[in-house]
Amino acid sequence: MAAAVLGSKKKSGSGIFNTKWEPFIYLAPFLIGIIVFTLYPVINIVLISFKEGYRQITGAFTGYGLGNYARILSDPYFINALKNTAMYVIFVVPISTVLSLFFANLLNQKIKGIAIFQTAFFLPMVTSVTAIGLVWKLMFNDRIGVINAVLGLFGVEPIGWLIDPSMNIWALIIYGIWNMMPFTIILLLSGLQNIDPLYYTAARVDGASSSKQFFRITVPLLAPTIGLTCIINMISASKVFGELFPLFNGSPGTAYNLFTVVYYIYYEFSVSRHLGYAAAASIILFLIVFVFTMIQLYVQRKWKYY
Amino acid sequence: MKKFNVKKFFVYFFLVIGALIMIFPFYWMIINSLKTAQDMTLYPPSWTPSNWFNFENYKVAFEKAPFALYFLNSIIVTISCLIITTFTTIMGAFAFSRLKFKGRDLIFSLLLGLMMVPFEMLVITNYMTVAKIGIIDTLFVLILPFTSSIFYTYILRNFFLSIPDSLYYSARIDGASNWKYLWRIMVPIAKPSLVTITILNAITCWNSFYWTLLVINSDAKRTLPYGLYAFMTEGGSDMKLMMAAATITIVPMIILFLFARKYIVNGVARGGLKG
Amino acid sequence: MQIKIDHLTKKFPDTVAVDDFTMDFESGKLTALLGPSGCGKSTMLNMLAGILPVTEGHIYFDDDDVTDMPPQKRGVGLVFQNYALYPHMTVLENICFPLEIQKVNKAERIEKAKEMAKLVQIDQYLDRLPKELSGGQQQRVAIARALIKNPRLLLLDEPLSNLDARLRLEMREEIRRIQQETKVTTIFVTHDQEEAMSISDSIVLMKNGVLMQVDKPQELYDDPKHQFVASFLGNPPINMIDGKINEDGDFELLDNSTVIKLNSKVGQVGQEVVLGIRPEAITFDEVKNAKAEIIQRYTMGKEELANIKIGSAEIRVYLSSDYTYKTGDIIEITLRDKGVFLFDKESGKRL
Repeated sequence: MAAAVLGSKKKSGSGIFNTKWEPFIYLAPFLIGIIVFTLYPVINIVLISFKEGYRQITGAFTGYGLGNYARILSDPYFINALKNTAMYVIFVVPISTVLSLFFANLLNQKIKGIAIFQTAFFLPMVTSVTAIGLVWKLMFNDRIGVINAVLGLFGVEPIGWLIDPSMNIWALIIYGIWNMMPFTIILLLSGLQNIDPLYYTAARVDGASSSKQFFRITVPLLAPTIGLTCIINMISASKVFGELFPLFNGSPGTAYNLFTVVYYIYYEFSVSRHLGYAAAASIILFLIVFVFTMIQLYVQRKWKYY
Repeated sequence: MKKFNVKKFFVYFFLVIGALIMIFPFYWMIINSLKTAQDMTLYPPSWTPSNWFNFENYKVAFEKAPFALYFLNSIIVTISCLIITTFTTIMGAFAFSRLKFKGRDLIFSLLLGLMMVPFEMLVITNYMTVAKIGIIDTLFVLILPFTSSIFYTYILRNFFLSIPDSLYYSARIDGASNWKYLWRIMVPIAKPSLVTITILNAITCWNSFYWTLLVINSDAKRTLPYGLYAFMTEGGSDMKLMMAAATITIVPMIILFLFARKYIVNGVARGGLKG
Repeated sequence: MQIKIDHLTKKFPDTVAVDDFTMDFESGKLTALLGPSGCGKSTMLNMLAGILPVTEGHIYFDDDDVTDMPPQKRGVGLVFQNYALYPHMTVLENICFPLEIQKVNKAERIEKAKEMAKLVQIDQYLDRLPKELSGGQQQRVAIARALIKNPRLLLLDEPLSNLDARLRLEMREEIRRIQQETKVTTIFVTHDQEEAMSISDSIVLMKNGVLMQVDKPQELYDDPKHQFVASFLGNPPINMIDGKINEDGDFELLDNSTVIKLNSKVGQVGQEVVLGIRPEAITFDEVKNAKAEIIQRYTMGKEELANIKIGSAEIRVYLSSDYTYKTGDIIEITLRDKGVFLFDKESGKRL
């Protein structure tokens, strides 16, 4: 009987090697988790973002509308959050990419001890932003911090990185660049290692100098990887959040001046309990990520056969 | 010949500078965790502790906050997460790569679409869901929402697809069931991929902060990153204690990294880290 | 075990891979499924193994209708082109695997596996991993693994195509030896006519999913029923000349440039035909069939070949070095009875 089911012809959808329902046994544990904790939340958050006067406890609301969006888009804190996030992305992504490109190129040399250097460069990747953020908090300290001490050697007056609101974002950006580099270097390094060494051999035969090789061969051939890395980094930089907690004792900056988009979601949801605002801000975050993702897919497809 | 050496010198020069900057925070963390109160007041700060074997701060940190308990909680949560996620990932990846069913490709594309939804967007509803189930402020709540990962399933499915069909047919003709084939043949072959996935997942789990911040209140249920953060907000400003606590949090991941660097680097290079 | 295939058809969305195929495979024999790539021979093999569902028709193993029987119940052993050895298992574990699935106890299955390993002469490598073996050795392991469960039918998919030329000759003999020792009904797929000719008891020649001819290797060569069969077998290949039958029943080139007298006049006057002449089927004896001009002579080791022109048609023939003809000489040629075939132009059928 089983034979008849397993082998019967023209049972579209199922193959010879599995029954119709068998795949779903394998899929169930995975799909249940996805449906409950990813698919349903996506749908729900979209709905909540359009619900006016939504109350979390009772689930009551007065009607659907764009009220939440109107409210957060006129909220100076949200506008500020967008500005800060944009600023963070604009500084962190290009600077960490350029530095990473430089170091990835050095790490791609076949020289002694390269494994040790790679270990050093990749290490920050595995650490929690909270723990290592605390170290940065100590290093940024205006009185006893090592950063001001080193700058002092060059005659720079002590900077209130973590107490002067205008300096807060720079502390966050510096920490962000350091944080992003290992990941970026790994992606670029693997891109570099995929470049056929024949190109370099050919260039050397033609007498091209090292810098010429770098700008005429490495950079153009690596362009797709660089582009991709930038966009992945933009997505992750748009979600800057956890870094704020250790630096500013859980506040967004010294004087609530350093909201980011995700911090805003967290704040409206967890502190102010304005679910509708948090939901609307989530959707806006998604739109930002979505645009970057679409660019990424486009770039990936376009450069696939570079 | 001379030019070659100059080039090599500069390569080393910049590598050393870069490497020092990258690992400096770790160095700073460790030496400050060993400093005395008097060491801390120095300006400019001293580059070494006055006594390399001053473990007082660790002792005090352990006394002031239950870091051993946080550590245990982190271990429980991370290991449970790894076991469950690895299981659901293997099963899901197998179904999507090897089994045939209606709508397979459609479901899979939908999942890939979901992959770009940031976790931050889901927390609100997920919070409401776990509140409804009534598991807020338990360790269980730190595990449950992370039992399925589209990203890891996608990575593993791609690896499974690279295993030749003929192995499957061979095993099936020899009478092996799908279940037997999966665990006896496919999983052992996919071991490198699985190790990579597991390690990336372990890092994410261990460092998880945002979700923990929302759903854990009581001291006894804190994991290390959150315990550390709470220690900072509640324990005040004694930075040398903070550094000792931060070291406790980071060291397991550093050890993992040193042993599994190859897998981590391969994993990141292949798919990029989640999130 | 005898295999009976009854009006078997396999349709894929865009092609018909096997088209209304009917034949019997003899029990205990080594049969080659031969044909150019895309002819449906692998599809055929996969349907016999049960990996591919059948669109129409039936397959019988002796009296069992196995058409809808799942592969694991059919009692077939299948050796893939890439051997499909499990890379994480040793040779011994690989060979044992089918018995492990059948829950045969460990001591027994190891004993059986060693016996199999001895049969395929791989017993000194039992603890190695597949990647530590050469292609030929991997092939032996795959055969041992397929044979250990005493299959009713052994199927080999392009068993020699991944091997280099030297190993190919060796494994060819090995497959023949193993098959004769075990007497298991064996079917193997190949696109290499020489391979099929050299070891099989009979050859099934396929083209575009259709069965062209089944016969013993020599019969297939000497007595092709179709133009395709004649042209697929033989190296150097058979010469094919287009023409028609003239009033005398002889063969005349289409441009009327010359007439070749035929030994047996089987065509109808005016019929468009193709004349197939194997390179060895021309002699230079008494009976003269046509005139030809020597275009070029080649020495190929022990043999010598020549291109000759009959009318406007150029053909390649064996030429004994006893002859001293030079390029440009006009000679008279004689067609032997064996190795000369006349085919209907339109259907390709032998006349």
